[in-house]
Amino acid sequence: MPADVSESAPAPAAPATRRARRGVRRGDGLWPWAFVLPLLAGVGVFYIWPILQTAFYSFTTWGVFGGFKWSGLDNYGRLFTDPQLYRSLLNTLIYTAVVLLGVPIAAWLASLLNTPGLRFAQFYRVLFFLPYVAMPAAVALVWRMIFNGDYGILNWALSLFGIPGPSWVNTPGFALAAVSVVGLWSSLGFSMIVLAAGLKNIPPELYEAAELDGASRFRQFRSITLPLLAPSVFFVVVVTTIASFQLFDLLYALLGNHNAVLPKTMSLVYYFYSAGFVENDKGFAAAIAMVIFVLIGLVTLLQFRLQRRWAGNA
Amino acid sequence: MPRARRRQSHALIHLVLGVGGLIMAFPFLWQIVMSLSTNAEVQSVTPTFWPEHLQWQNYAAVFQRLPFLSQLWTSVLITVIRTLAQIVLCTLAGYAFARMRFRGRAVLLGLVLSILLVPSQAYLISQYQIVQNLGWLNTLAGIVAPGLFSAYGTFLMRTAFLNLPAELEEAARIDGSGPLRTFWSVLLPVVRPSISVLAISAVLWSWNELLWPLVVSTRATQMPLSAALATLAGDVTVNYPVLMAASLLAMAPILILFILLQRRVIDGLASSGLK
Amino acid sequence: MASFPRRALAAVAGTVAAAATLAACSSTGASTASDSDTPYSPPDANISANLTYAVWDQTQVKAINANLAEFNKKYPNVKVNVDVTPYTNYFTKLQTEASSDSLPDVFWMNGPNFQLYASNGKIEPITGEVKAGAIDPKNYPQSLDQLYTLDGVQYGVPKDFDTIGVWINKALFAQAGVPIPNKDWTWADLHSTATQISQKLASQGVYGITAGMDSGQSTYYNTIFQAGGSVISPDGKKSGYDSPATAKGIQFWTDLVKSKAMPTIKQLTDTTGDQWFVSGKSAMYQGGSWARSEVAAAPVAKDIAVLPVPKGDQQATVIHGLSNVVAASSPNKQAAQALQVFLASKEAQQQQGDLGAVIPAYNGTQDAFAKSMPGVDLQLFLDEVSYAKPLPVSKNTAVWNTLETNLLPDAFDGTKSVDGALKDLASQMNADLAKE
Repeated sequence: MPADVSESAPAPAAPATRRARRGVRRGDGLWPWAFVLPLLAGVGVFYIWPILQTAFYSFTTWGVFGGFKWSGLDNYGRLFTDPQLYRSLLNTLIYTAVVLLGVPIAAWLASLLNTPGLRFAQFYRVLFFLPYVAMPAAVALVWRMIFNGDYGILNWALSLFGIPGPSWVNTPGFALAAVSVVGLWSSLGFSMIVLAAGLKNIPPELYEAAELDGASRFRQFRSITLPLLAPSVFFVVVVTTIASFQLFDLLYALLGNHNAVLPKTMSLVYYFYSAGFVENDKGFAAAIAMVIFVLIGLVTLLQFRLQRRWAGNA
Repeated sequence: MPRARRRQSHALIHLVLGVGGLIMAFPFLWQIVMSLSTNAEVQSVTPTFWPEHLQWQNYAAVFQRLPFLSQLWTSVLITVIRTLAQIVLCTLAGYAFARMRFRGRAVLLGLVLSILLVPSQAYLISQYQIVQNLGWLNTLAGIVAPGLFSAYGTFLMRTAFLNLPAELEEAARIDGSGPLRTFWSVLLPVVRPSISVLAISAVLWSWNELLWPLVVSTRATQMPLSAALATLAGDVTVNYPVLMAASLLAMAPILILFILLQRRVIDGLASSGLK
Repeated sequence: MASFPRRALAAVAGTVAAAATLAACSSTGASTASDSDTPYSPPDANISANLTYAVWDQTQVKAINANLAEFNKKYPNVKVNVDVTPYTNYFTKLQTEASSDSLPDVFWMNGPNFQLYASNGKIEPITGEVKAGAIDPKNYPQSLDQLYTLDGVQYGVPKDFDTIGVWINKALFAQAGVPIPNKDWTWADLHSTATQISQKLASQGVYGITAGMDSGQSTYYNTIFQAGGSVISPDGKKSGYDSPATAKGIQFWTDLVKSKAMPTIKQLTDTTGDQWFVSGKSAMYQGGSWARSEVAAAPVAKDIAVLPVPKGDQQATVIHGLSNVVAASSPNKQAAQALQVFLASKEAQQQQGDLGAVIPAYNGTQDAFAKSMPGVDLQLFLDEVSYAKPLPVSKNTAVWNTLETNLLPDAFDGTKSVDGALKDLASQMNADLAKE
């Protein structure tokens, strides 16, 4: 993904669009439909229809196994007065913020990796990319052991410094921190590889010229690296945000479903899951799903807006 | 830069990357250690960094409890089918969305992308009912069907095509190539790196997916490794070391594939920008 | 990227609006429970059908297959596919299937979920089988017949049962120099024994007792009943958590944590009670008879003894057992019921007991279990049935089970007063029960 985005790197938004438009020939006839219909058919049946159903159900009271009554805005009224919604939203935002913190770290590591003539660079890339490749359910088992309050190696390491560690996944606050750290750990490699590709794409002549002009390292970073890396950064941020807003598997795998910290730690999607599949309140769950849908949509829209402004100024 | 200074700065870089890399790889190393330990060693307050006797029988225990090979085959099969389908469908659609003009293009693209905004659990019951209506319960078709179509992949491929210079197509058109021909022999080769990105994410997603295959299929032989691992984790007579061994085995095929193809995977990502 | 179409995002928003106008979708109303008076008659031996039998415990599959081999001697043309789904996903899957009327023909049901499926007409009553004499509820523990009965209609008989006891690691007792209590021990005995062991073996990180505090079944439900309290009113409409006797049953555990006889709830969430015990880190483990297979497979197996749960104001333990139920929507109902009848038979349950890890429910088939650990008095799990109370359930049990998991740990760990926590729990639970 780095590559695709970075290819447009030097070009600000508007010209890219114009260029693309010019490439489109008038009267492609039925060809475009032949190209998109196979995908659209599947997407329509397996995704769009379920979304429409969910949207509809969010205005109904569902029986446990189907059969519903129209209940207007009841679910939404209940939802917006439920403190758990705001708590889950806050947790999701905190998690997303921590994972996004990985983006600058990844950019820094990527720039180190791109050092010309660095030995073992490929080896480092593999190490950093490993967590991204691993099966989440499997690594969660290991992290649970690492975070164990009694036998975990993390608390043993802390004890060497005289710090008594908590039962990480069962203590409010620490549990969210633990989940966030694992989220950061598993997404860092992807961001790093994407950004490294973006960096590689910046013509080295630019830096050489700047060096001749006597520009400082920081100055070079500000006026060459940052603007030219922007599309890759943007891509990573959008993809990471969407994924972070849908935090569920990791939380479920690390904390389990019999954990007293869950109300204080659950994410929006966990809140949805718990309403729909534990408490059997499908209409209410559908309303939560719609809120998630709109929220991610808004955040993504906002990011595209910001990116346009940023790219325009660059 | 003088040689000496460069070597010195490299040392610092190696330190940062080495420590960082160790942190990234640590859970895997720790998992290997635990998978070869006894349960008592795993649950000791002072960590056992190297087991007194390597407990290889933990791995044997996994093979005793799981029909590993048939589940591996299921995982491979569904992953290959879904990955190939995503490559074909997303590349075609991504191309049309990026480079062709047709009515409703923006709206249709928006619809496709909107599915990224909904948590996958929200699709579960509807998708199940559709698969049921199609008569695909307990079939391979049912397991793979929703995963053949990827909004993320479409987004990815559209971006890739969008960023190609228009001249490429124009040249082909002047030569008198039709749209299909232009797509196949001119544009497709250029976006190959993005296709490899799509393939990686499709493989990883499909390999690790758990809930859908469990819900839509009722045959143990059709269970992929991710689901098998979940079943094993629920068995109280299985101790931690065996569970660690099982999860390593479930991840192993992908990890090995990644390490074998690391250059193509990572360099593919990196080199695409150098065209 | 830069040219991400704004109109595309507008279309996303449009999706929501479009859906709102999508009124009057086809409704899949809950199918009504079929006429429970339909008499059952054993199908013809040549009946042919493909059945799915859904279960969640892989360790029982061997015994199930043995059952099915016997079943096929009677009905050679009924093919049964055993579907094992891990417990964490089992009910998510079942719900999805129930919503589409494609439940497995025969499947395992537990107490907490039973009323949900029965009240929504998803499972078939066994009235016909009972009338025809194919199943006689008197052959099973009465409290479990009761568990699978809703509004006077019975939907299944138990296939197995479990009661609660205290597993003992004799080696750790010897090491601490503490005598093993005898069978008629009391709460005070348990408390002092556990406290002493914790103190004497503190340097090794060994605790006197652990238990599965994430659910009440093997822990606080027992002590609540022993104190004469209740979890839920008999009609399933009101919480019992606001009674003083119930508070006493909760306080029992708070005291154990306080005197460090037991690890904290946080510790027990990190490493579950059974894990502490099988790795030799706790001298006692209050747990179900189902722990037998885990204990027997662990290195501590050679040092095991077992005691009944201690006596409070009265003797009590929790009994629970699974049931095989038939889906109301099954297209092969006759064959499915034949399988249900067979699985409930003495012959099938005897086989289960001989091969499996569970206690079969059919009276008089439990001998194999009682003798399955030589030298360990597993018989006491069977003797407990006489004073056992069924697991408390209601129509939407999961809702208040979640409340218990969320609110009680603060009381156990002493971060909140028992009375305060129980007041919250009772009021929230009552609010949820009112919605059922």
